[in-house]
This record gives sequence, structure tokens and C-alpha cells, in this order.
Amino acid sequence: MKISFPYMGTVLVYKKLLQLLGHEVIIPPRPTKRTIDLGVKYSPEFACFPFKVIMGTYIEACEMGVDTIVSSGGFGPCRAGFYGEIHRRILKSLGYDIDLIILDQPLQDKNFLKKVKFLKGNNSWLDVIKAVKFTYRLIQEIDRFEKEIYRLMPYETEPGQAKKAWNSIQAEFDQAIDQAGLERAKERSLDILKSIKVHEIPEKDKIRIGIVGEIYVVMEPSINMDMEELLCKLGCEVERSQYLSEWVDHNLLPNIFKKSRDAMFIEKGKPYIGRAIGGHAQQSVGAIVDFKDRNFDGIIHLMPFACLPELISQSIIPRISKEHNIPVLTLAIDEQTGQTNALTRIEAFIDLVRNKKASVNIA
Amino acid sequence: MKIGIPRALLYFYYGPFWESFFKRLGLNVVISDSTNKAIINRGIKVAVPEICVPIKILAGHYLTLAQQNVDYIFVPRMVSIRKRQFFCPKFMGLPDMVKHSLNFKEKILTCDVVSDNSNISNYRNYLPLAEKLGKTKKDIKIAAQEAEKDWLQFRKFTQLGYPAPKAYELMVKGLNPVKINPKPGQIRIGLLGYVYNMYDPYISLGIFDILQENNVHVTTFDMFSENELRNVTGNMSKVLFWTFSNYLLEAGLHLFNSDQVDGIIHLTAFGCGPDSFLGKLFELESEKKGIPFMTVRVDEHTGENHLVTRVEAFTDMLKRSKAV
Repeated sequence: MKISFPYMGTVLVYKKLLQLLGHEVIIPPRPTKRTIDLGVKYSPEFACFPFKVIMGTYIEACEMGVDTIVSSGGFGPCRAGFYGEIHRRILKSLGYDIDLIILDQPLQDKNFLKKVKFLKGNNSWLDVIKAVKFTYRLIQEIDRFEKEIYRLMPYETEPGQAKKAWNSIQAEFDQAIDQAGLERAKERSLDILKSIKVHEIPEKDKIRIGIVGEIYVVMEPSINMDMEELLCKLGCEVERSQYLSEWVDHNLLPNIFKKSRDAMFIEKGKPYIGRAIGGHAQQSVGAIVDFKDRNFDGIIHLMPFACLPELISQSIIPRISKEHNIPVLTLAIDEQTGQTNALTRIEAFIDLVRNKKASVNIA
Repeated sequence: MKIGIPRALLYFYYGPFWESFFKRLGLNVVISDSTNKAIINRGIKVAVPEICVPIKILAGHYLTLAQQNVDYIFVPRMVSIRKRQFFCPKFMGLPDMVKHSLNFKEKILTCDVVSDNSNISNYRNYLPLAEKLGKTKKDIKIAAQEAEKDWLQFRKFTQLGYPAPKAYELMVKGLNPVKINPKPGQIRIGLLGYVYNMYDPYISLGIFDILQENNVHVTTFDMFSENELRNVTGNMSKVLFWTFSNYLLEAGLHLFNSDQVDGIIHLTAFGCGPDSFLGKLFELESEKKGIPFMTVRVDEHTGENHLVTRVEAFTDMLKRSKAV
């Protein structure tokens, strides 16, 4: 049995978990132009962009001989929860006979236990818990390092250094299979991090940009023009509103002891969007407020073209931007691969943010 | 006191209830004009460019009402009319969007609408309005109960086969019409679309009239009662999350499987998210059942000739295959 998953963010984590459970894992290729072309060709025209990319990923995974795909679901009102149903039908009509396992919220999904048992395989429950715990720690560590990388990258003395370091760090963590391995990987990664040489920039000249928006286009660099790296090259520190470990914190762990970052975003978003309307709309607007509270200088808001919940946040953002005095640039991501237009807008936006900060500094 | 209700979006389904409700509270109700060029242009100017046409039109209606000297404009937050199902996120976030992007914050009259079936007349939904309207709990309760009767009457008439605007007219006149059945040999088409697309003549470009001129018997989703369609989607592992989309899905699957129609037209608006999936489900079903299926996608354009041509070609094809 060959098992695969959608490509989003640091995929080594999903690979690790499935491998620890004893499955043979095939990592789907990082989305390319071909992935997008395939996805666009076989998806409904007005399906949202993540649907199309994931469609293409599934087809490419099928071509590699995968027979089982695991993904997450949901019960709306955002369209993402229904992806699996349509993906399954389209794959079937293309003649790919594969199992598409969609993990939904346990309480609403009749077959949840069956699906978990399948993934559990011959492992004992204790092994499963161990594997899940280990993966959770892994995600947390990786996310921590990723944040550091994009904080340092804008100031690196030698272009490409930080990127190279990030790749080595991922390779380090890829080798870890137990707690001790994780500690080793952590130590080595800290050394790698230290080896990045940076220019000293006075605090008042640092530009910090927050990326908010829909989870897939925020987290998957291959389809968002490598937004974080791009902003770093323009000399800005970058932080996202979404990290995998935080998604886990918010969606899979009980919030008894510690409030998840998402829960805090939702609270800050409430004055603007009164109740959960699906997707990450409330988080997006809340994250803008939070980034401003933490003295960030500008926000890039990413959304898939015609994303239902983000259209609501997009409608409200001009007001938030005005009330909180923070520049926001909304970019809708779709299958258009010409990037010059977006690039020009981003550069202009960063110039604006820089000038704004400079004028404040002078005053 | 004057309350403005836009002649857009769910007006074509719940309008009879809301209008009756506010009137029975002794308030003046102002309903905006039928969508026209001026209204839609106002909407396009303020809405984000890529949002769907019905929302742009709605924004236009709100702005038009705001200029009409009304005290309040009714902007309900439609949350759910079926257990564990919702409305499209744009409906659920509507009051937020209106509040923060249009300029009549103080005129907004809003409440959450939650129900376990399509009947939304439970007075508790409307209690948050009581204070602003200067009414008591009892007033609200009585008005809602009376308005419910009007709405049920209206729904009864749509289920007899009358398009919503006609059913509303019949209800107001207090008539007692008979059921519309297809005449022998008449082409029967299922028209699947949301009320705000089918019944707004500006969006639909008068598709009802065009079909009628071609001597077609039309069936729409609101001509079924909720009970008739229950269990139609029984063998799907997951249904859509949006109740009106599910009404369409159920009506569609029912029509595809019950030999009631010769062909099916899916009327959808540019940029409609739920419809992107719904349409795919219809397409696959059509291939399976061999019933002709056509998608008509409308946006803020105004030329109707292309629609006339396509609808005529579709009905001609159905006529020919029926004659063979």
C-alpha cells in the first residue's frame, strides 16, 4: 500500500507521522506549473484555487502509483470541507481507483473510528499515541526554526545563506525518529542558525510584515510566489498568521490550559466579524489587529480567487486598515502564473510601508 | 417608522414573511425597486470586485434604500435553516460586511436567523429587534405568528407550480389557484437556480419569459416541499454545507431520477462558490442518467440575446429528441 497526502507547507511532518505508523509513504511532488495545469483542467472552473492545486497534486500522486490519499475535511460553511467528495468523484471519472481518506471532526463523522483504525494499522494504541506526540513536538520545533529563518533572512550578509540553512535544518529533523534524535536535530539546527551571518540593523529601521489569509495560500510557498522569501529579499522580516503547529493547537487539542494563538485572533477579530463564518475569515481580521498590536509595519493579505470567507474579510479590511492605521495589501491568488503584476504591487507596497515608517521616525 | 427591505437575495423566498411581519407591527415597509442599471452600478462601485453578482446587486439595493429616507434597513444574518447546515459564508458575514463597508451603520437593523427547517417564523429570532422598533415581546410574537400564515400561503402557491413573484401576487390578492401541470407533449425543463438568480429579471435576463415563449413547462426547486425532497441525498456520504444549495441538489437529483423533466438548466451567477461544486455534481449525474443538462452563467452583463439563443437551441434539441 502506498500512501500520500496533499502538499502544504513543511510536508516532512506528514511523511514522518505516516512512516512512524508503518506505512509506505510517497511524498507528492511540490506543486509546479504542470500540477496547476492538471488541476485546472479537471476541476470545476469556479472551484477555489487550493482545490485545483490539490486536484493536480492528487493526479500526480496517482501517476506515481499511490493507492491511498489522506486529507482533512470539515463541515463547512467553507468549501474546503467538501473538497474530498468532489476530488473523489473526479479521480474516479479519470479512472484512478484510489482510497481517499478524509479525516473529519470525530463527533460528526460516523466512520471516524474506522478511518483511524485503518491508519493505525498493526500498531498498538500506545505506539500511535507516541507517534502522534512525537510528530507534534516535531512540528513545534520546525515551526519555531522556520519563524527564526524568516526573521534573519532579510539581514543575511550573503544572499541564499538563510535558505540553505533552512534546507539543512529540515534535513536534520527529517533524520529524527525519536525524542533523542529530535534533541540532536535541535542542537545542530541551533548551530546552523548561528552560522547565518547578518548585518546589524538598528531596531527603528526594521520593517516587519505579517502575512494573513486563507491557510493553503498562506502556507504553501510554491503557489504564493514564495511570498516569505520574496518579502525577505525586499528587506522585511516576515511572520505568518498560520503555522501547522498552531493549527493543531487550535483544532485538535483541548484549550483548557493555554489559549491557542488562533483563539486569540478570533477574539480580536470579533468586533469586525461577529461570528465564525467558515474558513479563516475571523482569524485573518483578528491577526491584522494582533500584528498591529505587536508593532508590525504592514500586512499582506492572501486569498484564493473568489474564496467565500476571505471575500468578507476583504470587504472589511479597508475599515480595519484605517481604524488601526496599518497598510494592508490584498492579493488574490489564482492560476495566473505571470508574477510581474503582483511583484510590482508588492514592491510598491513595501516602499510605501518603508516611507511611512521613515516619516514616523523623523517625527 | 419606515423599514427598508431590499428586493434582492432572499427577498424572493422570505420577503413575504418579512414584509408581512413588519407591516403587522404597524410599521411602514419600503421595498426597493426591481433591480435596474442604476442600482447595480451603485453596488459594483462599493463591493469588492470579485464578489458574486447577487451580493453586488444587494449592495446596490441597500445604498438605494439608504437614500430613500428610511429609518432602518433590514440586514438579517442568515445562519442556519437546517440542523448542522449553514448559509454561504457571504450570507453569514453580511451584516459585518454591510456595517464596515457601506455608510449607513446606524440604520442597520439586524438579528440572527436560526431555524431547524425552512420556516423561519420563530419569534425568538426577531426579539433583538424589539427595542429598536419600540415594540414589546408580545407584539413581536403576534406579528411573527400572523406573518407565518402569509408565508405558508405563499409557499403553498409556489408548490402549486407558480414562480415566486406570481405566487406572491396570488397571496396578496387572496386567490385560490389550481396546480399547474405540464400539457401533453409540452417540453418540461427543470430550472435549477437560487431564488435571487431566477426571480430577479435583471439577473436572469427574464429566463422564465423566454422559456414560456418557447412553450416550456418549468419546474424549480421551490416548487417542492421540504418533505418531498427528504432522503433524496440519502446515499451521499456527505452533503453540501449550504441549505439552499442542498435544496437545489435535492431537487436536481430528484428531477434527474424521476422522469419528470426532459432537460435541466443550471442557472448560476459568476463567482458563485457553492455552485462550483453543485454544478459538477449535476454534470456527473447528467452523464450517468443521459438527461440533457446546460449551465447558464450570468453576471452583470446586460445583453440577453445570447441567452435567448442558447435557451432556444436547448429546447429545440429537446423537442427533436422527444419527437424521434
